[in-house]
Amino acid sequence: MSMDRREFLRSGALAGAGLAAAAGLVVRDRLRQEARDPTGSETARQLPAPPPAVSGLAEDSLLRMQRELARAMAKPAEQRRWVMVIDQRKCVGCHACTIGCVAENKLPPGVVYRPVVTEERGAFPNVHLKFTPRPCMQCERPPCVPVCPVKATWRRPDGVTVVDYDRCIGCRYCLTACPYGARTSDFGEYYTDGAAVGADGRAVAGPRGPWEDQANHEYAKRWNRAGRASPLGNARKCHFCLHRLEVGGLPMCVTTCIGRATFFGDTNDAESLVSELMATHNVYTLLPHKGTQPRVFYVA
Amino acid sequence: MTGLTGSIPAASRWPHAGARLRLWLWLAWLVALGLGLVGIYQRMTQGHLPAGYGSYVPWGLWVAIYFHGVGIAGGAFVLGAGGFVLGLPGFGHPALVRTVIVLAVAAILPAFMGVWLDLGHMGRAPFIFLYPNFTSMMAFNAWMYNAFLIVAVVCWLLSLKSRSGWLRPLLCLAILFSILFPSQSGAFFGVVEAKGFWHSALLPMLFLASAITAGAATLLVVRAIADDQGLSRTEHDLAVARLRTVTLVGLIVYFVFEFAEFSIALWNPNTHAPAVELILWGPYWWVFWIVHLLLGGLVPLVLLITRRPRAWTGAALLIAGAFISARLNVLVPGQAVGEIQGLQEAFHHERLTYIYHATVMEYLVGLFLLAVGAAVFFLGERINRWAARRATSFSRGEA
Repeated sequence: MSMDRREFLRSGALAGAGLAAAAGLVVRDRLRQEARDPTGSETARQLPAPPPAVSGLAEDSLLRMQRELARAMAKPAEQRRWVMVIDQRKCVGCHACTIGCVAENKLPPGVVYRPVVTEERGAFPNVHLKFTPRPCMQCERPPCVPVCPVKATWRRPDGVTVVDYDRCIGCRYCLTACPYGARTSDFGEYYTDGAAVGADGRAVAGPRGPWEDQANHEYAKRWNRAGRASPLGNARKCHFCLHRLEVGGLPMCVTTCIGRATFFGDTNDAESLVSELMATHNVYTLLPHKGTQPRVFYVA
Repeated sequence: MTGLTGSIPAASRWPHAGARLRLWLWLAWLVALGLGLVGIYQRMTQGHLPAGYGSYVPWGLWVAIYFHGVGIAGGAFVLGAGGFVLGLPGFGHPALVRTVIVLAVAAILPAFMGVWLDLGHMGRAPFIFLYPNFTSMMAFNAWMYNAFLIVAVVCWLLSLKSRSGWLRPLLCLAILFSILFPSQSGAFFGVVEAKGFWHSALLPMLFLASAITAGAATLLVVRAIADDQGLSRTEHDLAVARLRTVTLVGLIVYFVFEFAEFSIALWNPNTHAPAVELILWGPYWWVFWIVHLLLGGLVPLVLLITRRPRAWTGAALLIAGAFISARLNVLVPGQAVGEIQGLQEAFHHERLTYIYHATVMEYLVGLFLLAVGAAVFFLGERINRWAARRATSFSRGEA
């Protein structure tokens, strides 16, 4: 039995309405950018800054960046534009930034925000090593954001892409979408789980070190993984240590860099060190053909 | 032919399934369920720790099962409901529509369960409906599947009525959904520009072709073992022959698409080539050559071109099972090639590698999902029979 005219018209109307609704929802979410973060004067911070450099004396770049950070934080969030510049000529591959980041954010096993990629070049005896620290690129066009099914990740007005740990469902779609592999999932591992126990029954390093249950303070909140709570089960990533910026501290990887190879600052400040470095060097970005427009620049 | 509401004599069901075969099927189901529950227990008590996926290969066997399940659901529904709407011989019975709906639900529910178990926060699954982001193919897919399920259930109810002017229009809408969601499954990967192997416009077509093929094959198996559903022998044979043709054509189209994808990647090696080489010559070469090409392609092809319906059923069974390799071969190799050389050596951890091996827990949960699918289909068919009987006695009472 085939369809009569009325059924045919109903079919067309339903199919048309279904397609229109689907297209409408996609277009709506493509065009509409929800304001998730506060902006304006309420986001400005008056933070203490180191005294100005003494004229004629050399100054540690950390002090200068600290001063510039205080200057940037005095502006509303939307007027800041954080970038990181990494001078690979100075990086010695010590991994202090990686470890500093792990300690600062209390990252569990399998979660890393800033690994240092080592590349061996040339043929013996003419060989050299090139080190590429890889934090989150804080892309202008982050591919991880549109794939999130629940709007748990977005780009802040200051250019930092963040994750709402309380919203993230742990689907890991964003992990696949990042060409830099900058997102890792917290699968719930602990460093000391299953570690040896002494003959007297006292834990040598386990069953779980109490330090592993300490909360971290990412996004200026208190996160404790006990009881499988977030961020366990979530996608995690580098956030330029936003919680430290809020209180006037530079990102941990910047302060732990023994070679002073990592620079951080506000490119909207023409006087800042990062602006100066970007203007005076041929900086490059990783995987530029991906069109993500990273905000982490390298000097090679 | 029975009445429009489709009462089918219970005795005509499962005629080939003798007592001994039924016993074996029950035993197999119980074993799958028992072993599967062990996997579920591990998942619930230990979280993701016993799983083999990590951060560089974040999706594994369960996600492949998910895409295989929704593919079968979409493909089977398009053909079964499409045949009904067009009034094709052997498809024009409301009871057959109900069987197709039950089959689609039996394929989708375990698929959902698989992806739900894959979530880091299972309790937050409803967030996809509360805070959807429709720029994400995942949210779009989730909504589409659920819209399909709702419409399919309404169609099931309408099919019990003696006459409804909305059954065919709603089936058309559900058919549209069931064409869209397997295609979207391809787009789910296709939009990920970070993965060279996935970022291909051919992928949605490839997923649609595999959905139609696997769906037709599964429907063929169901139609073959469920016998004639009260239809005449000629109508039954016509339906099975038509499903065989669709399966055969689908199989050929799928492999032509796949050849196009692979040959272009290998002819002029580009970003696709490493993933293709991994599929062909990597540690899981046998998944492509033996499971996918031999058991899912060549053997069914030979069986389908014979004139023996029993051989077609065998071919269909092989395709319905082995086509999961088509999903795995898109899913895993696409993730197993990193863009930044040396990243996995930069920070050592077993979850920070591009190597994925499914673990025992993952396989056990896979068995559980299979058992759930079989149980849903079995119960659904029982409900179909009961509902049809009720509807018939009600319409007789009315008369």
